[in-house]
Amino acid sequence: MAYEFDWSSIPGSLPFLAEGMLVSLEITAVALVVGMVWGTVLALMRLSPVAPLRWFATGYINLFRSVPLVMVLLWFFLIVPQLFTQLFNLSPTTDLRLTSAMVGFALFESAYYAEIIRAGIQSVPKGQLAAATALGLSRLQAMRLVILPQAMRNMVPLLLTQAIVLFQDTSLVYVSALADFFGSAYKVGDRDGRLVEMLLFAGVVYFVLCFALSRLVQALQKPKAQH
Amino acid sequence: MIQIDNVSKHYGAFQVLTDCSTTVNKGEVVVVCGPSGSGKSTLIKTVNGLEPIQAGRIVVDGTQVNDPKTNLSKLRSRVGMVFQHFELFPHLSITENLTLAQVHVLGRGRDEATAKGLALLERVGLKAHAAKQPGQLSGGQQQRVAIARALCMDPIVMLFDEPTSALDPEMVGEVLDVMTELAQEGMTMMCVTHEMGFARRVADRVIFMDAGRIVEDRPKADFFDQPQSERAQQFLARILHH
Repeated sequence: MAYEFDWSSIPGSLPFLAEGMLVSLEITAVALVVGMVWGTVLALMRLSPVAPLRWFATGYINLFRSVPLVMVLLWFFLIVPQLFTQLFNLSPTTDLRLTSAMVGFALFESAYYAEIIRAGIQSVPKGQLAAATALGLSRLQAMRLVILPQAMRNMVPLLLTQAIVLFQDTSLVYVSALADFFGSAYKVGDRDGRLVEMLLFAGVVYFVLCFALSRLVQALQKPKAQH
Repeated sequence: MIQIDNVSKHYGAFQVLTDCSTTVNKGEVVVVCGPSGSGKSTLIKTVNGLEPIQAGRIVVDGTQVNDPKTNLSKLRSRVGMVFQHFELFPHLSITENLTLAQVHVLGRGRDEATAKGLALLERVGLKAHAAKQPGQLSGGQQQRVAIARALCMDPIVMLFDEPTSALDPEMVGEVLDVMTELAQEGMTMMCVTHEMGFARRVADRVIFMDAGRIVEDRPKADFFDQPQSERAQQFLARILHH
C-alpha cells in the first residue's frame, strides 16, 4: 500500500511556521554579526606579534572547530540559563533558550569566521602593511584602515557562504525543543501525524532559500572574476 | 641624519647583513647598489625599523631606531618611504591615499590634508587624477603618487627601495625626474636603485653592497671612475654595458 500524502496541515500552520522562521533568522543574524565582530578580533589576535594573544586565539579556534556544534549548543543550553539567572537575578522560570542558542552559535561561528577573516587578511599583499606602517600608522590603524577593508572585499563570498551554512545549522536548536523553523514544522507534523509532509515541506523551504542565496553569492563573484 | 653603526641581521642561520656602517648627512643623496640578494633592500628597511636588526645601532635624526623604547610610529611618520611595488592603497581614491596618514597620524584636518595632498599631486604632475582609483593609473603615475604620499608627511629624509624596478622602461624617466627634482631641492635621500645614470647625475655618494656587506662607500666620482673592489668593477662593467 502506497503512502498517501496529505498536505492539508500546511496552510493552517503557516503563521506558526513563520514565527519559527523568524526565530531561525534571529539566531542567524545575531550569530552572524557577533561572529564577524568577535571573529575579526580573534583573527587579529591570532596574527598578533604578542604571543599570549596568539595562544588564546589559536586555542579558542581549535577548541570550537574540534567539537560538534550540537554538543556546544547543549552545553550552552545547560550553562547559560544557570549563569544568566544568577548574574541578572532573573526568575528561574524565564525562558532563556533563545538567548542560549544565540550565545552558543555566536561563540561557535566566531571560530569559523576568525579563520575566514585570517585568510582574508593574509590574502592582502604584505607590502600594504609595510607601506601603512611606514607612513606612521600603528599596527591597529593599519589593520582597520588599510588591511581589513581590502580583506573584507576578498572575503564577501566566503562570508556569505558561511552565513548560508549557519542558517541551515540553526535547525540544530531542536535539541532544546526551541521552536525555530525546523522545530515548528516538526511540532506541526507530530501534532497532525503528518511528519513526512511537514519535513519535506521544511526541506523545500530551506533548499529554496539557501539555493537562491548561493546563486546570489555566485552572481556577486562573477564581475570580480573578469578582472 | 642617518647613522648606521655595525648593523648585522640574520634570518635563522642565514646572514643578511654583516657589520654594515655608514652615514647619510643632511641634504645628501646616497645611492645604494649591488647585485640582487646583496642585502641592499633589507638595509634600507632597517632605517625605519620595517626590518629589525640583531646587532648594531641605527640613529635617525637623534632617535635610535632599534631601541625598544622608541616610538616607531612617530619616527616613521617623519621618514618617507617609496616601495618597489608602489603600495598605493587600492580601496582608496588617490586623494584618500594622500590624506589617510596626514589625518590619522599627524592629526591634520581633512581640508588641510586635502589641500596639502593636492598641492603635492600637482607637483608630481598628476592633479587631474585626484579622484581616480590607483588601479586606473599607469605604474609610473602610481609611483609618482606614492612619492607625493610620502611627501605629504613633511619627511626629514626619503628612502627609496628600488622605485623604478617594477616599471616599464618608458615610465622610468618620469619617476626619476621627480626624484631628481627632490634631490635638487635639498631633500636628504637614500635610494636603492640600479639606475646608474641617476646615480651619476644626482648622488653625492654611492654605497656598493655584496653578500650583506658594504664593500664600497665613496663619493660618486671615485666610485664610477675607479672602483676599488673587484666585485664592484665586475658589477659596473656588467650594468653599464647595457
